[in-house]
Amino acid sequence: MNNIAFNIALPLLAAFLLPVIHNGSAKASRLVGPFVLLAMCWFAAAYFIFIEHPVALALGGFLPPLGISFHLDQLSLLMAVIIPLMLLLLWPYTNREGFREEALLLLLAGASSGMALSGDLFNIYVFYELLSVASFGLAASTHNGAAFAATFRYLVISGLGTVLALTGIGLIYTQTGTLNLAHIGQLAAQLDNNVGLAAFALIVLGIGVKAEIFPVNGWVPEVYATAKPRISALLAGLISKLAVLAIVRLLVVAYADTDALSLLLVLGILGIIWGELSAWRAKDLKRMFAFSSIGQLGMVLVAFSIPGEAGMFAGLAMMLHHLLVKPALFMLTENWSGSISSLTGAARQSPLGAALFILFALSLIGVPPFPGFWAKLIMVTGLVGADDSLYLLALGILLTATVIEANYLIRCAIQLYAPADENSSQSAKHGRLTLSISSALGVVLIISLFSITPLGNKLYQIAAEASNRSLYINTTLSNAQVPALRKIQ
Amino acid sequence: MRNYSALLFASGLAFLLMVIAWQFTIGGAPMLIGNAILQQAADELGAANLVTSVVLGYRGIDTLGEIAILFTAATATSLVLSSISGQRSRPAPNTAQSGTILISSSRLLFPLLLTLGLYIVLHGHLTPGGGFQGGVILAAAFFLPLLAVPGHGVNHSGLALVEGFSGAAFILIGIIALFQGNAFLQPFMGHGAMGSLFSAGTLPLLYIAVGLKVGAELSGLLANLAEIGPAHPVAEISVETQSVKGSAHQ
Repeated sequence: MNNIAFNIALPLLAAFLLPVIHNGSAKASRLVGPFVLLAMCWFAAAYFIFIEHPVALALGGFLPPLGISFHLDQLSLLMAVIIPLMLLLLWPYTNREGFREEALLLLLAGASSGMALSGDLFNIYVFYELLSVASFGLAASTHNGAAFAATFRYLVISGLGTVLALTGIGLIYTQTGTLNLAHIGQLAAQLDNNVGLAAFALIVLGIGVKAEIFPVNGWVPEVYATAKPRISALLAGLISKLAVLAIVRLLVVAYADTDALSLLLVLGILGIIWGELSAWRAKDLKRMFAFSSIGQLGMVLVAFSIPGEAGMFAGLAMMLHHLLVKPALFMLTENWSGSISSLTGAARQSPLGAALFILFALSLIGVPPFPGFWAKLIMVTGLVGADDSLYLLALGILLTATVIEANYLIRCAIQLYAPADENSSQSAKHGRLTLSISSALGVVLIISLFSITPLGNKLYQIAAEASNRSLYINTTLSNAQVPALRKIQ
Repeated sequence: MRNYSALLFASGLAFLLMVIAWQFTIGGAPMLIGNAILQQAADELGAANLVTSVVLGYRGIDTLGEIAILFTAATATSLVLSSISGQRSRPAPNTAQSGTILISSSRLLFPLLLTLGLYIVLHGHLTPGGGFQGGVILAAAFFLPLLAVPGHGVNHSGLALVEGFSGAAFILIGIIALFQGNAFLQPFMGHGAMGSLFSAGTLPLLYIAVGLKVGAELSGLLANLAEIGPAHPVAEISVETQSVKGSAHQ
């Protein structure tokens, strides 16, 4: 009995029942979450390993485009494997206070999987909304005034984004008369006008709130600075990527040859400039990483805006690299909060933490031979190959941003290894759990360093499949065998 | 700086909306999916209320998402409130303040609201309404005593039980369909005679689950908010906002 729908059903079921289980036995309720996440890993991995062609799964027994379908290809299944793995890694094992946070994390897991797998625009919106509401609760779970204020700001901006995204989806529905992504792709000619483009812009701005896209990312620094490191790691590492992926799916099926690419490119460039310059000026580590993740997501957006397979390849490489590195860096900010100058000599107190910081910082900058270098190299190749002056401008900005990144990260590293002075904080030591989480991610980084060629080949294969528009459309629409479907086309 | 960027963003958005308003033609939108569903929904699902066949049939997983969103909002709220409510004691029930008229009319309305709410939930597949609408009325019925007599006790663990099991029932009905060899959330148990109370297969069962869940959730949420009470010390709030402002300027 294996069905990918379990990856949505199980976490939601567990979250609904968690309060009841907790009233019965608090100990049992602590086992539920990890067990469900392991099961989700199992289901998604079984699909990911054995799938040969993309498959469309009709939910509720109604074939697309009438019913909602999940699109299972290597990319969506890869995300469906990564989501529970990431949550298992960042699970609050030592948190004795509440089942509510665990319930929210399970809801987040279900919503994220839904967003990764769904092939229906409105269904993606529903899961996006669920993911937003869960992340509000998690961001506010620090229980202090600053976190509440930051979360409130986040809530207002997210609310605005939700309205914009819904407006965009409504516009697409008025233009095409359908909500299924593949069906929209088939009718994409009807979206190749100003209204269609405006609809795309609204969806980018709306869903872009989670993807930290340039004009709607005002919430990022405060939320990441006040939330628990685990939650910041989750939001910056995983959730932002799912929002990017939703936008990219829509881009590939319906807007691949339009001005939508330039829109993403310009927003991405602005994000890089704003994020990296703010990170350079930031005075504390958490805000620095928050701004740097805005800059990094700008780079991801620029990479995805390169037309064709090259763009998908570069975007995925940048995205997966950031997904690996940023959570580890955010975990290291535990006990390294406050001004950067108080970190002087912190390497003496937490040698492993400082070493991991150096490792991830070097990869983030893109120093060879670390995976970050290869990701940036793929992106540079793509930008040069795009053969357009705007892309060359983006290339220049990417290289400048790399220099700025190197400057502020190395500045921090020098601070860590400097001899301690009167400014330095007394307790810059990391907890054992934090160190093991970061080390686990570090081990993955080093393994991928030594298997860069097979990884690159696999990623290229995934990118080629994901950027193949007609394959996406045919998987959902033509492989369905119900006469009703032919009738309405 | 923040004001300028907000102004820039607002004018950009206004430009975007103007483009839409300029180019958008009202009417004549293609109704591909809409028309197809109108044609076949009655045959495929057997529900007299077509909206229900869309909400629970064609887009059942969206509805699962919606009830999960409500549950998430309630959980997040109680997570936030738990830090505040721990510090304060609940006010004792005070019947003297409310007066006879308020108390007796709330008691009179309770069975009426309960009946109306259940009716709307149970007839969701036949007439306009359904689990969400009926659930809200059910929540109102249970919240009324709390409004009439502040401090009236609420059985939170009972509500959690109803909430948990009704949400689980929705998913389990979906999973049963899966084990029968169908798709997740696929309606089963036949159609019945359209228009009768026992028709449209599992759709009424799903709506009962939704109704109970929405009702229990909203009453729990409202009771939680009511128990925090209006008497949050003003001094405490102002101190907190000041410290927030301080940290934002750093």
